[in-house]
Amino acid sequence: MYFKKNFNKSFNILLLRILIIFVFILVSFFIIIPLLPLFLKSFSDNKNNFIGLENFINYIQNPSLTQSFINSLKVAITTTFFSVLIGFIYAYALTRTRLPLKKFFNTFSLFSLYIPPLAVAIGLIYIFGKQGLITQGFFGTIPGFDINLYGFNGIIIGEIFYCFPQALIILVSALNLSDQRLYEAAESLKASPLRKFLTITLPNIKYGLMNSFFICFILSFTDFGVPKVVGGNFNVLATDIYKQVVGQQNFAMGATISIYLLVPSILAFLIDKNFQKNEASLISGKSIPFKPKKNLIVDSIMFIFCSLILILVIGVFSSIVLASLIKIWPYDISLSLQNFRFSNVAGNGYEPYFNTVFMSIYTAIFGTIFVFFTAYLVEKFKPLKKIRMLIYFFSTLPIAIPGLVLGLSYILFFNKPSFSVPFLDFQIFNPFSLLYGTMGILVLANIIHFFTVCFISATTTLKQIDKEFEEVSESLKVPFYKTFLRITIPLSLPTILEIGSYYFVNSMITVSAIIFLYPAKIPVSSVSIVNMDDAGDTASAAAMSTLIVLTSLFVRLIYEFTSRNVSKKSSVWINPLET
Amino acid sequence: MIKKEGSFKYLEIKNISKNFGETFVLKNIHLDVFKGEFLCLLGPSGCGKTTLLRIISGLERQTNGDIVQDGLLISNSPTEKRDFGIVFQSYALFPNLNAKQNIAYGLENKKINKKEIEKRTNNLLRLVGLEKYSDQFPSQLSGGQQQRVALARAMALSPGLLLLDEPLSALDAQVRSKLRNEIKLIQKKLNLTTIMVTHDQTEALSMADRVVVMERGHIAQIGTPFELYENPITPFVADFIGKMNLLKGKYDKKNCVFYYLNNRFLISQNTEYSFLENCLLGIRPEDIEIIKFRKNIEKEENILRVKIKEITYLGTIFRLTVVLESKLEENIFVDVISNQVISNNLKIGDFIDIKLKKEKIKLFESNL
Repeated sequence: MYFKKNFNKSFNILLLRILIIFVFILVSFFIIIPLLPLFLKSFSDNKNNFIGLENFINYIQNPSLTQSFINSLKVAITTTFFSVLIGFIYAYALTRTRLPLKKFFNTFSLFSLYIPPLAVAIGLIYIFGKQGLITQGFFGTIPGFDINLYGFNGIIIGEIFYCFPQALIILVSALNLSDQRLYEAAESLKASPLRKFLTITLPNIKYGLMNSFFICFILSFTDFGVPKVVGGNFNVLATDIYKQVVGQQNFAMGATISIYLLVPSILAFLIDKNFQKNEASLISGKSIPFKPKKNLIVDSIMFIFCSLILILVIGVFSSIVLASLIKIWPYDISLSLQNFRFSNVAGNGYEPYFNTVFMSIYTAIFGTIFVFFTAYLVEKFKPLKKIRMLIYFFSTLPIAIPGLVLGLSYILFFNKPSFSVPFLDFQIFNPFSLLYGTMGILVLANIIHFFTVCFISATTTLKQIDKEFEEVSESLKVPFYKTFLRITIPLSLPTILEIGSYYFVNSMITVSAIIFLYPAKIPVSSVSIVNMDDAGDTASAAAMSTLIVLTSLFVRLIYEFTSRNVSKKSSVWINPLET
Repeated sequence: MIKKEGSFKYLEIKNISKNFGETFVLKNIHLDVFKGEFLCLLGPSGCGKTTLLRIISGLERQTNGDIVQDGLLISNSPTEKRDFGIVFQSYALFPNLNAKQNIAYGLENKKINKKEIEKRTNNLLRLVGLEKYSDQFPSQLSGGQQQRVALARAMALSPGLLLLDEPLSALDAQVRSKLRNEIKLIQKKLNLTTIMVTHDQTEALSMADRVVVMERGHIAQIGTPFELYENPITPFVADFIGKMNLLKGKYDKKNCVFYYLNNRFLISQNTEYSFLENCLLGIRPEDIEIIKFRKNIEKEENILRVKIKEITYLGTIFRLTVVLESKLEENIFVDVISNQVISNNLKIGDFIDIKLKKEKIKLFESNL
């Protein structure tokens, strides 16, 4: 009796469903499924025979291996404690005091984000090593002292350098969310400074604090670069995996140790996730930001503290640069650029450096596109809710997967041209195996290794964009992809640039995810640092580190410049009505 | 009132239900909207009015029931295939596009030449009185101007149906009343069938041709503003549209008398009151008279002696809150023109006599 509209099925919704399923398949194959061969391997011997828990039992019965597990835990716990403590004091100084030269301290605190942990370790050798500046009293000019760098001490110092800025970023943003009115109310009720700290400040940042504990724990528990260079005889899980896989070609034991590395990380991840679930914003939209009062004593103490930290950071960086410029440390301290030639050392000239730059550019481009599009599909649409929730969960997982574990699982997964279906005599072609032995697999490993942070920041930005934009577009018969290109992307541009630069910098400095993966014909610079250091060409390793740091800083500068222009352009959208 | 007979049913909502899991949001909604009509969905928050609007737009899918628009069954059509324009409470203007680009957003996707788009956009800007602001970004416009851009954008594709979701609630009182008139004028000028959701009864009464009062997922009453005010059929409608005192008592049908505590009120004969004896008496505050200084009140009917508990000044009138001495917790509201209060020097604590106008008394079935 009524005319029925013919086209009840919407092309757009169909397209959307296909895209969501497609992204789901991709994240499954890049994040979850590669872990399966790793698990299988840990239950097999090197001839792929299933041997149950034998590897795990062997591991526990081997005292030197179990010692590594305990060592890793020791390192992680000590590093976490100090990194969060230093990060907290530094963040407190930046947000809650009248620290002089705040802008300077703010900018340079994150400097060590651009120094690969490997390079930090090399810098430490030049300060605290056998021939180090402090150990030898600046080439014998003053009495020196030895801190016994190689071993636990060196690892801890290096890891704190690496982890402290990560804790700092989280804690600064937690401390920035404050409400002046709460402190005024407390003051009017005659609360002491300690009481205000315990009842207002701490409860407000507990989620940030927990999150920074978790991040520092995972980073230091799983880091490979620092222990590799300054670990000496102090073995940790990460170096053990490397020795098993690269040294002894014992993939089964490598996989087993990976599980020992993976499980505590995943546990920490789940604890943190469960904790963050309860997070509710304690700060209302109407809150007034905290304005610190002058306090000469506190401000001076903070100034001294922050200066010390910065001197250490800059000192490490300077010693890397210095070491790269000095002819033969410590015998001929004249300056030269000969260490930058890389021709007569365990490397391939400049090839690794350019490979790394290209790898980082590809990672920045493809990673940003993939991560932003994934976050967009998860965040903005209604269909296939369960699948979108799974994509979300998978996307937050990589932060708990140590780089070495990811790298090892990628080898085991991507080098198989086909899978055999269990109990059936049937093989499935593995299309991803085409990536094996190419730059593609390195780029992919980097994209996934740093996926979580980028995904969370994309999601946060997309959440702030009105959901009704999509509904308005539908009502105006404009397909979602046009609105995505014309509205969503321009509005998210600052975040997109941020993600790109994060991907670039981290791909430049990373070693753990790619050390098992890089094909012989595509050497990369962070691996050549490891090899040069192994071969005793420490000065060349320092030179390569210098190049990496300078490149990262250069790209970061370009980012700062571009994003300032973008925000100038977009300020007209955001600025409130001029009155 | 409005000419229902002359116009045809443009939108038919047939037996629409919506539930989220176990909870019903809408239950068996039947509603016809006529061509060119301005219809308001009115109700407290959570009554399902916005859900109904979103179901009409296809942004939400009904659990049961059908929707017919202009003779076409659209129950399962996706949003982009339906013929409507919508204005959201937040306006949802694209912040990176200026006023003109926002309005042209839907047009640019159609295969229309640029000149035509330009012409249409300019016409729309003129229609909402924003010619001068075409290059401004939303953040540079005032709330009222943003509202107009959103309205123009919603009308850009010349939809057959305009949906407004609390379009005025984010504006301050003065701008709101000005825009009310403007929206109404534009709507009548274009003869555009319009459905507006609001929780503000003044807005609904002043703008709508017909108002649909909704309560907990069903329609409580449909009528013109006048009908709803004069003849509410439930105590909920009576108290939601304007104010109504509701007194619980017993009705003696044979004698047309209502007993409230120890008082008896005469009720005009009305055959519609078929219900049982326990019921509610309803009377609006303005239908109660003060008779403080009249003599021989014993002879008059429907009188109550009450004590003044509170006096609230509302401009042209005072609203008195009065109570019976035998039932102090039950407030009765009486609206009195200001002069009367001032000249009689009424004070809190005074005893006065009030009279409930017999012909204005309504009876309602009591569910309590």
